[in-house]
Amino acid sequence: MTARAKPHPDRRAYALLIISAAVTLALHAPHLPLWLPVPAALLLALCWKFRRRGRRFPVLARYALVLALPLGVVASYGTIFGRLPGAALAVGLLTLKLTETETLRDARIVIATSAFVLMSALLFGQSLLQTALVCVALWPLLTAAMSLEPAAGPTRELMRGSASRLILALPIALVAFVLIPRLAAPLWGAPGMQVARTGISARMTPGAIGQLLIDDRPAFRVGFRGPIPARPLRYFRAVVLWHFDGRSWTPGHAALPLERLIIRDRPSRYTVTLDATRQTLLPALDVPVATAPGTLSTAARTLLAMRPVDHTLRYTLESATGYALSPQLVPAERRLGLQLPSDADPRARALAAQWRARYGTDARAIVAAALRMFHYGGFRYTLAPPPLGRQQVDDFLFRTRAGFCEHYASAFVFLMRAAGVPARVVAGYQGGYANRTAGYLLVRQSDAHAWAEVWIPGDGWMRVDPTAAVSPDRISLGATAAAQTAGAPWFLSGWWIGFRNRIDVVNRLWDQAVVGFDALRQHALLTQFGLDPSRWQSVALALGGALGMALAVGLALALREPGKRGDALATGFQQLERRLTRAGCVRRPGEAPVAYLRRAASSLLPPAATTLLTLAGRFAQLRYGGTQPPPPLAVRDWVRRARDFRP
Amino acid sequence: MPEATLARIDATQQRLAHALAQVNQLLLGKTHVVRLSFACLLAGGHLLLEDIPGVGKTTLAHALARACGLAFQRVQFTSDLTPTDIIGVGIYERELGHFRFHPGPLFTELLLADEINRGTPKVQSALLEAMAEGQVSTEGESRPLSPVFTVIATQNPLDMAGTHPLPDSQLDRFLMRLSLGYPDEAAERALLSGVDRREMLRELTFQLTPADLVDLRRRARTVDTSAAVLDYVQELLGATRAHAQIRVGLSPRAGLALLAAARAWAMLAGRSYVMPEDVQAVFPAVAAHRIQVQHGANGEVLAAKLLAEVSVRA
Repeated sequence: MTARAKPHPDRRAYALLIISAAVTLALHAPHLPLWLPVPAALLLALCWKFRRRGRRFPVLARYALVLALPLGVVASYGTIFGRLPGAALAVGLLTLKLTETETLRDARIVIATSAFVLMSALLFGQSLLQTALVCVALWPLLTAAMSLEPAAGPTRELMRGSASRLILALPIALVAFVLIPRLAAPLWGAPGMQVARTGISARMTPGAIGQLLIDDRPAFRVGFRGPIPARPLRYFRAVVLWHFDGRSWTPGHAALPLERLIIRDRPSRYTVTLDATRQTLLPALDVPVATAPGTLSTAARTLLAMRPVDHTLRYTLESATGYALSPQLVPAERRLGLQLPSDADPRARALAAQWRARYGTDARAIVAAALRMFHYGGFRYTLAPPPLGRQQVDDFLFRTRAGFCEHYASAFVFLMRAAGVPARVVAGYQGGYANRTAGYLLVRQSDAHAWAEVWIPGDGWMRVDPTAAVSPDRISLGATAAAQTAGAPWFLSGWWIGFRNRIDVVNRLWDQAVVGFDALRQHALLTQFGLDPSRWQSVALALGGALGMALAVGLALALREPGKRGDALATGFQQLERRLTRAGCVRRPGEAPVAYLRRAASSLLPPAATTLLTLAGRFAQLRYGGTQPPPPLAVRDWVRRARDFRP
Repeated sequence: MPEATLARIDATQQRLAHALAQVNQLLLGKTHVVRLSFACLLAGGHLLLEDIPGVGKTTLAHALARACGLAFQRVQFTSDLTPTDIIGVGIYERELGHFRFHPGPLFTELLLADEINRGTPKVQSALLEAMAEGQVSTEGESRPLSPVFTVIATQNPLDMAGTHPLPDSQLDRFLMRLSLGYPDEAAERALLSGVDRREMLRELTFQLTPADLVDLRRRARTVDTSAAVLDYVQELLGATRAHAQIRVGLSPRAGLALLAAARAWAMLAGRSYVMPEDVQAVFPAVAAHRIQVQHGANGEVLAAKLLAEVSVRA
């Protein structure tokens, strides 16, 4: 063999590669540290600039970047293992690969890597939007792959071709989705749980819920058997916090007996679809009558999952909204319900002592006094409260007087305990968006809430929401609406939330049908068709049969018109003809292509006419010169020149 | 191909161009027909000229023969012409003591068969057989004709009284049917005021030799026909078979003839491959007399119509 220059991707293929890499980068950008996506995007732009000037990327700079990337990843995450560091590394390497993409082989590597990195974007979210974006991102990628082929036609043709291939692949993907045996938990469930913790946590520190309020993702959805309860009644308990150390509220460690529940009205039945939280806390409407299969109850009748919820979980419950919880307080409960850090917040304690002196043991009167103070004492509701000092409760009650549910719940319970009224903090969700048409309730992370429960003799634990005393809107409209006056960012503005709430019904379907399609439901579905999913032979047979059928259909489509498909020269000519027709030179009936081009040339001015005549001559040679098909490279060249021609 | 051969072929092509120019000087304003008749000659086909008398049929035949350096014979077909009149006859020669064959006008290189439709079917079929076979059998002996043997037959389409029109099967033996028609005004004026055509004919110089013609014919056969051109030819053939006004469409042999003519036409243009334009240029001449039209239709008109109806795919 003679020495030949290795084939290298042309400018269009390179541009498509850059676009694919940029799209991949964009899909990963939301969960990457800022130092990565921005320089990577700049690097892509730089690659394109170098390429256009026909220059190579400086080797030394490339080596420096290759060294810097893992260092940066380690600096950000402390490791290069795991989901996020892995994604950061992959995205970075993909970008760097483009700086050295010279040959066709390089380009193919870029395409394969892009596809892999794109797929890994699904590890960070499987919402309908995310999945659709990944699918759409495959389009430029596939177009780039096709543009590397020797006989690649014009770009529009390639884009149409890759789109049709993607659509053809859909049925195959669907068959594989239904039939390929799935693990009990998704692959992406396990690693990285420390990083992606969302939802209510079992520890409440001022500021922690503040972040959640801005997190607008859906937390869970509730389908009610009966009517959806009114908004002020929609308190979902997730965790009861007993212990306060002066800064944080935690559940505490004491072993308590299950609290007795007296049901006062008909419990309502509902099903919760909980998105992955990577925790065991399960929100339930205040207050669940019994546990659901696979869940545990705490003493305070909040629910726990057996293990962290790392994929969408569904459970059905019954809850009573009218009830009496633990009408007789056991000593351990009383002790915990009055626990306070030994020497913190003297001013709050003094205030509580005043109330105690004035109202004695009348718990209701003390509660009313506290609520009055919150209502008239110059407190305001805000999502961005000023920071608090060491004497947290004092600082809040007597200095800043600004905060959200967490501050109010914390201060309120502190005051109650100091006044001798057993009290505890409850964290959970409140409100939600009731989609009346689809008949379900959507609760977002921004609906996270904290409130208090005080023990009233004879009535048991009663829910008291001090936030409602400060900002009734928080309860009647929702946290974001309540915060409107404080100047919320645009994505929390009313119409946007409203719009997203309305289209959430699509997400719900997606979650139920696709993300929630787990091993159990697969088993149920396949059994209906007489397949035994536990026998791998039957699944393999079905999978093979379905894929074979899909392949046969695809082949039949591909072979439908042999020789006529993929004729880049003909397509190129037709495009040229379209352009000439638009310019006013219409091909006569029966007029031969070359004759037509020559006639068109005769009506043009010299430079264009000469180009067109050359094109006509070249076309004649390619199409008619010789009995063999024309060399693909020459055809590509002609197509490109024809594309560049402007009459 | 060695360089010397290439150079010789180039020289031959040059002389071919000269020959074409010479004939065009004689038949003013008839470049297309003259070119077609050259193509016919180069494709190794026979030519049927259909026209009224006096428009230059004989001049064309004569000029072709002169320019190509071919031996020329002319036979006026009449109702009393017999096959032996054209083939030749064996005559007993006493001195030699056996029959000696006296070849007829058929044993020439270019034969002008004037008013072929006035001959009896017997003579016609004898001639057509010779055209098809390239040889004649007489008295139990087959005698080969010249390797460049070509017939130019003429007939008058209007004066049909007492004629024997050629059957369709025999029309097929002619590669092309052409008609010269009246010259345009300027050409006619030049004709009237110019030198006598017969004198000009005598002054015509040989540009080619029969050997050149054999060479050119071989070369014409090697002109490339791509799949795209074959597609187009097949579509044209198919269109003649499906057309409402055509009783019998073109046969596969007609398709071969069409390709051969198109190859010769492409070679005349100095190309080594056929384009759809070449096929279109020769199509009416090759196809019009071969398609059998419904009553009242005209082959030429239909052929032109078909060219406009069948679109050429890129």
